[in-house]
Amino acid sequence: MNMFLFEVMNGVALGMIYFLMAAGLTIIFGMMNFVNFAHGALYAVGAYLCFQVIDWSGNFWLGLIVAPILVGLLALVLERTLIRHLYSFDHPTQILITMGVMLVIREVILLIWGTVPKPVSPPDILTGVMVMGDFVYPYYRMFVIAVTAIIGLGLWLMLERTRFGIMIRAGSENSKMVSLLGLNSNLLFSVTFVLGVALAGLGGALISPIRGADAFMGVEALGIAFVVVVIGGMGSFPGALAGALVVGLVQSLSAGFWPEGTNIMIYAVMAMIILLRPNGLFGRT
Amino acid sequence: MNKHTPISIHFIAVAVLACVLPVALQSPILAAEVLIFALAAIGCNLLLGYTGLLPFGQALFFGAGAYAASLSAIHWQSSMLPCLLFAILAGGLLAIAVGYLSIRRQGIYFVMLTLAFGQLGYFIAYLAEGITGGEDGLLDVPRAALDLWIVPAISLDSDWAFYGWVALVFVVSFISLQRLVDSPLGSVLQAIKQNEQRAIAIGYQVRFYKIAVFAFSGIVTALAGALYAMLLNFAPLSNIDIETSEVIIFMCVLGGLGSLYGSIVGAGVYLVASEMLSDIWPRWMLLLGLLMIFVMLFARGGLWLGLKLLWQGVKGYGQDKKVKKVEVSHD
Repeated sequence: MNMFLFEVMNGVALGMIYFLMAAGLTIIFGMMNFVNFAHGALYAVGAYLCFQVIDWSGNFWLGLIVAPILVGLLALVLERTLIRHLYSFDHPTQILITMGVMLVIREVILLIWGTVPKPVSPPDILTGVMVMGDFVYPYYRMFVIAVTAIIGLGLWLMLERTRFGIMIRAGSENSKMVSLLGLNSNLLFSVTFVLGVALAGLGGALISPIRGADAFMGVEALGIAFVVVVIGGMGSFPGALAGALVVGLVQSLSAGFWPEGTNIMIYAVMAMIILLRPNGLFGRT
Repeated sequence: MNKHTPISIHFIAVAVLACVLPVALQSPILAAEVLIFALAAIGCNLLLGYTGLLPFGQALFFGAGAYAASLSAIHWQSSMLPCLLFAILAGGLLAIAVGYLSIRRQGIYFVMLTLAFGQLGYFIAYLAEGITGGEDGLLDVPRAALDLWIVPAISLDSDWAFYGWVALVFVVSFISLQRLVDSPLGSVLQAIKQNEQRAIAIGYQVRFYKIAVFAFSGIVTALAGALYAMLLNFAPLSNIDIETSEVIIFMCVLGGLGSLYGSIVGAGVYLVASEMLSDIWPRWMLLLGLLMIFVMLFARGGLWLGLKLLWQGVKGYGQDKKVKKVEVSHD
């Protein structure tokens, strides 16, 4: 029973990291109809920057806060120079160009930090395990669940309750109409892209004490994030959360007995959803 | 547009290329690898360059071809032609199935479907250890002898003999596919690429054409996979993984969309660069990434277009070398 609870908690923690990735992807897709294949590479950049800041300052919290901000700045530069010219292209073109961006980012990571993955240790206060009766769980993973839950709630409040959130939702509904109504849609697009990518950066920073920083970590994460987004419905924020939790739970619950089977199931479910319910579980029709 | 280039010219061009390549590269193995991956890139080009569909699971057909040929060579001691026939059947049937399902959706959903089928194939191959060897792959794949019934069987064990066979298969496939893209069917594919709604409105059964091009793509990609397994004497699991799909896309885009010659250039440049540069500068893929972005933004014709412009410049016609944005040209 406790093993089961342990796996459930692991699934939730994993799912919440996927959620950060997927939320960024889905917001960007919903707003600009843009498919960002460089998302996974930027997630890896988040992990490496977190490592680097901790290495310099010796302070985990600084790394966790600074890394997503730096990733956001990188996203701003990317958006201003390249990405914004791609919004009007078709999906295959967007995918091929961002695949090129992905390669460049990955190789630059390898140039700067070398080919050996970097380990990141959690802060002292979060090392060790929590013991509750006979249930044992690492503090750091609890922390990941808590932080991502707060971020997710904050995002949801922002999207639902603030003026900026209304703009984003309106923009994803009909971006032409939004600019006709006098909003600066270029600025809105930049902010959305930066926000989405910064979420991926935060995901990378958060997972670095669990998995380390690895230049190739983005490939798997990108695949999973797309599965999550497709299951939840491209462009749907609640869909990203539900999809992420489902994928995370299924993965960790079956990790014990049939790990490869999980992947078969996840991809089969994705294919079925695209074929039978193309807007995903929560997508607009 | 040299759309009306007679097929005999194409034949001479690729036949000369196939003769020169191993001498220029000083290795029949590398040359065979270039021609094999050129076939795979051509398979991708049929979908991406000619029809406007981005397939993210080409490794499924490549791996299926490799497994089918290897299994019949190992277990049934089949000779070369039946081995390739099995590969073609496996690749073609899989491609029809994947195509039939994937073309129901557009844009990112189409890409995700092909990716999902590719990944399913990968994990199934991984799990079916008894058949595919799982993670270890299929070892000791023999280079099946060429047995034409009328004459004594020809052994292809030596690298040069095997290269000769690969070159023959390559030339025959290339000419057939060049015929295909120059045919009325090829024109319909380009009509679909340029404006699908219009092609439907004109009255073409777009779905039928898309499935047909998938079948051709699967066949030629499986053929490449089968030859690759025999070249290496080994059918690794990595044949069918997502990285192989990506490499095939890179070669196809780099060489130039919408030109079969471009795919040869793309495969050649990629393989030779990885052979030569990976020792000197392991981060050469950085350049590949930049080149991908540049080609997709400014010159869909890729390296092949670059070569053509260079050739025109040499001939004195290309006075204006500052052509920046050039439309995709089709051979």
